[in-house]
Amino acid sequence: MAEPVLEVEGLVKHYPLTRGVLFRKQIGSVKAVDGVDFTLGRGETLGIVGESGCGKSTVAKLLCHLERPTAGAIRYRGEDITKLSGKALKAVRRNIQMVFQDPYTSLNPRMTVGDIVGEPYEIHPEAAPKGDRRRRVRELLDVVGLDPEYVNRYPHQFSGGQRQRIGIARGLALRPEIIVADEPVSALDVSVQAQVINLMDRLQAEFELSYVFIAHDLSIVRHISDRVAVMYLGRIVETGTDTEIYDHPTHPYTQALLSAVPVPDPDARERRERIILSGDVPSPADIPSGCRFRTRCFKARERCALEVPALAVPAEFRYATGPAVHDSACLFAEELRVVPAEEHGNGPG
Amino acid sequence: MLLEVRDLRVEFRTREGVAHAVNGVTYQVDAGETLAVLGESGSGKSVTAQAVMGILDMPPGRITGGEILFRGQDLLKLKEDERRRIRGAEMAMIFQDALSALNPVLTVGDQLAEMFVVHRGTSRKDARARAVELMDRVRIPAAAQRVRDYPHQFSGGMRQRIMIAMALALEPALVIADEPTTALDVTVQAQVMDLLAELRREYRMGLVLITHDLGVVADVADRIAVMYAGRIVESAPVHDLYKAPAHPYTRGLLDSIPRLDLKGRELYAIKGLPPSLTRIPPGCAFHPRCPMARDVCRTDPPPLYEVDQRRGSACHFWRECLDG
Repeated sequence: MAEPVLEVEGLVKHYPLTRGVLFRKQIGSVKAVDGVDFTLGRGETLGIVGESGCGKSTVAKLLCHLERPTAGAIRYRGEDITKLSGKALKAVRRNIQMVFQDPYTSLNPRMTVGDIVGEPYEIHPEAAPKGDRRRRVRELLDVVGLDPEYVNRYPHQFSGGQRQRIGIARGLALRPEIIVADEPVSALDVSVQAQVINLMDRLQAEFELSYVFIAHDLSIVRHISDRVAVMYLGRIVETGTDTEIYDHPTHPYTQALLSAVPVPDPDARERRERIILSGDVPSPADIPSGCRFRTRCFKARERCALEVPALAVPAEFRYATGPAVHDSACLFAEELRVVPAEEHGNGPG
Repeated sequence: MLLEVRDLRVEFRTREGVAHAVNGVTYQVDAGETLAVLGESGSGKSVTAQAVMGILDMPPGRITGGEILFRGQDLLKLKEDERRRIRGAEMAMIFQDALSALNPVLTVGDQLAEMFVVHRGTSRKDARARAVELMDRVRIPAAAQRVRDYPHQFSGGMRQRIMIAMALALEPALVIADEPTTALDVTVQAQVMDLLAELRREYRMGLVLITHDLGVVADVADRIAVMYAGRIVESAPVHDLYKAPAHPYTRGLLDSIPRLDLKGRELYAIKGLPPSLTRIPPGCAFHPRCPMARDVCRTDPPPLYEVDQRRGSACHFWRECLDG
């Protein structure tokens, strides 16, 4: 793997649940992120997938230091940023920027595009001398494919896709090394999604960016990611290269997730084996014992309620080789191909 | 034919001028058939459905032309009380956001029972029993207890099941589902779509499925109508359309789906943006974004050409498009 720029170890974020107004008493906690480890290499894209409530957005906020973790470490170039404050923190933050999901609420409606994209320079004046900022903002707009003449317009004069470009331009302003993108295209129309994905791909090559790309759309994540981590109820349950996860999943949750995704090929209807999970995701305030997926798992046995499976290469694959050998937090991991391989190849075009 | 929409036109008066939301939409649905209406935001897919159901806000909306034939009878000519009798009993709608579609201050049992009391004159007690049956039917665990719960006490997937139960309560001949699973997680989405397909088969309903998701369409639809700027630009049996689209917009949508063999390369992207409904381009509305556009496309709006007996395409050059 490329030299790591970000190492996350044992990351935990619990939100306390309290009762009472005068004498606040903690009665439990929402375990939004409950022990997450991963490494992000330079110039690499790590995709994080999972359903709502799995903690993927909380991970994004923790990485950008918008929230403080309950425990764990986030090391940027070897330095734990969770311990930093003041000047040192500010310096690190320049290098980790965020692109938000909703381009309608993440841009201030009373600021012009120029002010929005240039605002990072107000906070980090050392990044660009005052006289140079206007020029840089125009350059950034050009880089993300917007007309630099739009610099004095307001967000409402732009479409969703254009607004997302503005958000990306703001994220790029300080020349960060890492961009954390939380569902950057899910609010956009299908025909515009591809434009924004292409833009992010191009920018990554141009500026040597590392991406943490969070999304629930599995096909988009596969397209853009080098490695993929699947989250369930605050933990990563399986992680590996895109081929390992999509073509050789060994965790039953990943298998169910992949099999549930509608495939844009009507001929695949009959060929597909679908795993329909029963029930809903349990509350993160009341996580099942043992394996947290066992309440919905089609393979669950008694042992699953007693033992917490670790995220590692499962024992049965210890002496094996090949793409099925990757980290999977399941006591009964086995490979199961759920997406027929050939169907991707015979689309139109 | 169960439902036939003919040349429907709807506009909205807005501050920026008249928005032409639906500009001559024609489609049919037969009993037991699933028609997917595919389109992006602003394509007019939901407005058409609202006009069919008779729940369009008028004003600002206005139906300026066309017919909506339900079992041969033009709904637009009926009085409101006659339409109300049809709505719910013979045609029903499932909305995207169950939390805002259900009444938050009534228990789900009361809301389900109301369907029988109002339309069928069933007694309260019997209606309550029917409500429990229905909740059981859409596989809500412990239905007999949960019938007394309020909508906010259910998860998103369970709420969507309740809405399906409500739509199917009186066994309507036609159900319109407007993005029924868009707000749900993938694994729950699969559960709900499965349930909907099963009930449709059982009751032999006609289903109009409104969606923007090409994957969902491929999974459940028999036929598909693609909408762009208030018009149907292509209509075809679903297998034919995915194999060889006959309209450049459909082709663009299919090509922009990330595919395994194209990983690491640039995705195909339709250039530009969907038009504003107050300023729809002259000629073919898609021409500013179309890679095949020629002079005639800028001036002459294409009719829905007959590709074969079961297919239509609103492109002057559908033959070229079909050939790839």
